[in-house]
Amino acid sequence: MNEIIGVIIAAVLCWLNFVLIDTWMGLPEQPGVKGAEVIGRDVKKRGGDLAGGFFQGNIVCSPDASAGTILSSIACYTIGIPAGGFVAALLVFIGNRLCADPGYAGTTGALTIMVIIALASFIGIPPEQFIVGMLLAIVTIQGLDHPRASILLGKIAKKMGRYTELT
Amino acid sequence: MFMIILFIMIIHVDVLTILSYILAVVSAVIVGFIVRLPLLPERPIRYSFTISIIFPTTVIALGLSAMVFELGWGGILVGIIVGVISALISKYLLEMILPKPTEPVEGES
Repeated sequence: MNEIIGVIIAAVLCWLNFVLIDTWMGLPEQPGVKGAEVIGRDVKKRGGDLAGGFFQGNIVCSPDASAGTILSSIACYTIGIPAGGFVAALLVFIGNRLCADPGYAGTTGALTIMVIIALASFIGIPPEQFIVGMLLAIVTIQGLDHPRASILLGKIAKKMGRYTELT
Repeated sequence: MFMIILFIMIIHVDVLTILSYILAVVSAVIVGFIVRLPLLPERPIRYSFTISIIFPTTVIALGLSAMVFELGWGGILVGIIVGVISALISKYLLEMILPKPTEPVEGES
């Protein structure tokens, strides 16, 4: 498969993987630590959405499904499937616990992206394209426009019943 | 999820390695029951720090097995031993190494 098309497909798959798992695991519901709350409220002050801001803050403050996705992609590239996914899941779990996070989102993200990478190998998308894809995916959430990204994340949280009750 | 991971393994690794991973998980679960770990964390699971058999014991078993296998020690017996060690780590060491947050530290909510 063409490398550019492969990277774009990988980016979409990574985006869906980490946003859906992180939302399902309740990242927009509440900030895990003070830093996530500060980021969430700052994003809201700049015209964004509070739940989406908490999501962005939680991603910054602890390794969630986004970290699981990129670490698993790198591990699958370096040591193969499925060992890479399993090692990544364990490492993300340790990182989560160090950051006062239970660790469900990170480990689930690492394992699901391993499954996705394995399935995508059938259509010619190798793990290295998932590494680039994940970087592009996280840029859309954290690197372009925080308020607009948070509004989108807030809408997804509302749809999945994970919107914050805090004001 | 387990069935999908099993399917992925069937494609990518040999039967002995698959069996070793499965036995690592099975021995971790059995030893987990013996040392009286709960099967599941309490609800809502996504906010629970409780150490249980399903999470994180199986994740530790799979991760440790993968590390050990990739370092060159493979086989069914190694899988079983790693599973036993994983359950013991979950029960006796994990809480000490990675304690759950109790009192808010200064600067944290």
